[in-house]
Amino acid sequence: MSASPSPLPRFDLIDPREAASLAGLELLTEGVVEGFLAGLHRSPRRGFSVEFAEHRMYQPGDELRYVDWKLLGRKDRLYVKQYEEETNLRAMLVVDISRSMAWTGAPEKTLAKLAYAQRLAAALALVLLRQRDATGLIAFDDAVRAVLPARVRRTHWNQLLVTLGGLTPGAGTAAEPALRRVVGLLRRRGLVIFISDLLLEQDLAMRALKFLRHRGHQVMVLHLMDPAEMELGGPAEARFEDPETRDGVILRPKDWAEAYRETVTGVVSAWRRACRTSGMHYHHITTDTPFGLALRRVIARPAGVQ
Amino acid sequence: MIGFLTPWALAALPLAALPLLLHLIQRRDPPTVEFPAVRYLVQVTQEHHRRLKLRHWLLLLVRTLLVLALVFAAAGPSAPLTEAVSHAPSALVVLLDNSPSSSAVVQGTRRLTDLKGAARRILARGTPADALWLLTADGVARRGAPDALGRAVDSVEASSRRMDLGEYLVLAEQVLATDARPGGIVLLSDAQASAVSAAPIRVPVVLVRPAGEPPANQGIARVDAGSQPWTPEGGSVTVSITGDSGAPAPVSVVLANRPPRQALVPAGGSGSFTLGPAFPGWQRVQASKAADEFRGDDDRVALLRVAPVAAATWDPADRYLAAAADVLLASGRLRWGSDLALGVLGRGASVVLPPEDPAQLGALNRALERRGIPWRYGAPALAPAVSDSNAFVGRVAVTRRHALVPLRAGQAPGVVVTAGGQPWIVRSGDVVLIGSRLDPAWTGLPLTAGFLPLVDALVNRVARGEVALLEGAPGDAIQVPDLATEVVLEGRRWPVEGGAAFRPPDTGVYFVLAGRDTIGGISVNLDPRESRLAPAEPGALRSLWKGLRVVSLGDAAGAAFAGAGHASLQGPLLWLALLLGLMEVGLASGLGRSA
Repeated sequence: MSASPSPLPRFDLIDPREAASLAGLELLTEGVVEGFLAGLHRSPRRGFSVEFAEHRMYQPGDELRYVDWKLLGRKDRLYVKQYEEETNLRAMLVVDISRSMAWTGAPEKTLAKLAYAQRLAAALALVLLRQRDATGLIAFDDAVRAVLPARVRRTHWNQLLVTLGGLTPGAGTAAEPALRRVVGLLRRRGLVIFISDLLLEQDLAMRALKFLRHRGHQVMVLHLMDPAEMELGGPAEARFEDPETRDGVILRPKDWAEAYRETVTGVVSAWRRACRTSGMHYHHITTDTPFGLALRRVIARPAGVQ
Repeated sequence: MIGFLTPWALAALPLAALPLLLHLIQRRDPPTVEFPAVRYLVQVTQEHHRRLKLRHWLLLLVRTLLVLALVFAAAGPSAPLTEAVSHAPSALVVLLDNSPSSSAVVQGTRRLTDLKGAARRILARGTPADALWLLTADGVARRGAPDALGRAVDSVEASSRRMDLGEYLVLAEQVLATDARPGGIVLLSDAQASAVSAAPIRVPVVLVRPAGEPPANQGIARVDAGSQPWTPEGGSVTVSITGDSGAPAPVSVVLANRPPRQALVPAGGSGSFTLGPAFPGWQRVQASKAADEFRGDDDRVALLRVAPVAAATWDPADRYLAAAADVLLASGRLRWGSDLALGVLGRGASVVLPPEDPAQLGALNRALERRGIPWRYGAPALAPAVSDSNAFVGRVAVTRRHALVPLRAGQAPGVVVTAGGQPWIVRSGDVVLIGSRLDPAWTGLPLTAGFLPLVDALVNRVARGEVALLEGAPGDAIQVPDLATEVVLEGRRWPVEGGAAFRPPDTGVYFVLAGRDTIGGISVNLDPRESRLAPAEPGALRSLWKGLRVVSLGDAAGAAFAGAGHASLQGPLLWLALLLGLMEVGLASGLGRSA
């Protein structure tokens, strides 16, 4: 039996800005995840236990031994049996909604980091929920702005969508309180996905992330950057101003472009090195990366490979 | 001192501020751009700020220097050289001291020969682009090409003119001022102390002086023939010796063609020689001493007049005049005769005094007019006066006098002595008029020591029309008598204007003529200061001439254009500009690449 063709376009592979313009958050997310999963040929995770939990629709790649043949006989549809063991993983999405996340260097070409983070978080949540992983959400700027505890119910997906869609850019950035909050929400070992542009106090954030890691959680840092943040451009001379702190510096981009590029590379390397040293996964993602590629980079790779 | 061929190009110097102005203009009001990753920029600028700021200032400096280098290069700068191997077009005055002392012989060689050799070597360094002058004691600045001036140097001989080196340096500086090229003066001289004087020189001066001490020299400083004229019986001559040597000098004196008289004269002193008898007329006296290394001052000439003393009549009642005449009579300077009337207007030569009685003044004036004398006695001048300084009498009080009025207004020929600015003693032909009677009630003159010599001069010289026995050195301005028309020296003739200055070109005895009559003579000898050959100390010279550089003869060629010679800085400046341009490109591209 072959899988039925997906009714949605391959949102996972097209330009994020174009994909966002074609569909809303829910439809886009489902399209991204459907396309992403179709490209994987099989479910990314297995681990079915003895204790039955519920049925779910058969997906290409599911093992045939878990197909409920009786239900097929009654309803003429393929269902697989899902067991309680699958819900052992509890994931928490920690999304940075600070003012810097609302910035884009080219609004007509790329999504703002926050918009990209919303869609990527939704896709991740959908993938996790489809795997029967309890998924929660924390949004923060200089304080925790939204909290959604980890749930595995199908209806939880809708709550996540509503919460993510309602996020608006905040003020400054303080990741530590949000990450500390995770400790209270994930009592058992779980997965923490930290989505941010990392324009924050690195020492404080790393200390909190290490604390999570120390508590046995898997930590994944998704470093979002706008392509315009990778290369310094602009007028011949300008005052560059931080939208959060309003700090500024006057310089000529031409004079500093190369040094800036080296600095950004150094910052990314420093984060990657720090995360690897602490046993965390780090992914540097620019907002012009198609969501499917970003998902593949985050989920489909073997553990330990970044 | 740096000079410029086209100094007007320096007007573009303010362009050097252009890079700074552009820098300041570009710094104003940059636009604000929102950029979240400012922390990365801050991190970048903190790491690179000092280096980049240094580069920015370096770039600004390089650009400013580039503009300055180009502007200065356009102005054609040149700088003095320490050693003139090659030089930019320069102006150079070669001041060759060929004053009499340059003929002194030192260690077998004339000073002038050494100086000329050095001058030739200096001129050989000249190029056609240089402006070169040769200035010698004659005061004529000859301009020419190096080889032409080299030939001119060859023909230079020791002059009889003294050179005041300070004055000649000023003259050389004035010559230099006629050329726009940066210039200097090379003075080739023995720099004797008696020839230097202060001069406000503003151009570089290089003094090239020969090594070795000059010889101890002695010379005849003066030959004094005493009161003139001499009687045919003869007279005495006083000879003075000057110089650096302290030894007595054997001196011989010759009057005309008579045998010489010889005697030892002490150094710095004088000796008297009695000569005679002599024939009436103008006679030449020559004093000579033993030859030494400087021959120019070993001989000296003087002119004297030999004539019978005047034969005069006078009124014994004229107390003071008669007393003077009696003394002159007793000393042989006067005799009784009818050639000269003393005190009144006679038929021939006369020394006329105003009459005691004013009523006789009209008759005297009419008599003067009949004699063709262009003067008359005027009204009494009541204001006391003092005679002016003159060759015949010092300053004496004149309490009473009659004005001496020329017949033609504006023409006052033959004034001998003035008092209070007005004619007091005048001469016309063989008649001498005195404005006051020679009496203490009229003037203090009879009570002074100069009274007797005055009467002697009046009767023996002035009244005879022989008024001028002058002395001087070659080149000196000597004022000839009013009646002079010509000056003669051994067949050479110089027309002169009466009362004007005559500059004798050489030593010798000159005769002053008034038409066909000889009315005087000029004894022209070397300036006695030339006899002192001791050189001035370099320190003293530098205090007199600011910026002076003293070099030896051997260093003359190299140092000459170091004073006047200037190396062109245009080439080095253009190379500097090129280097700065390359630096600018490197810094500018470096900023864009690595900052």
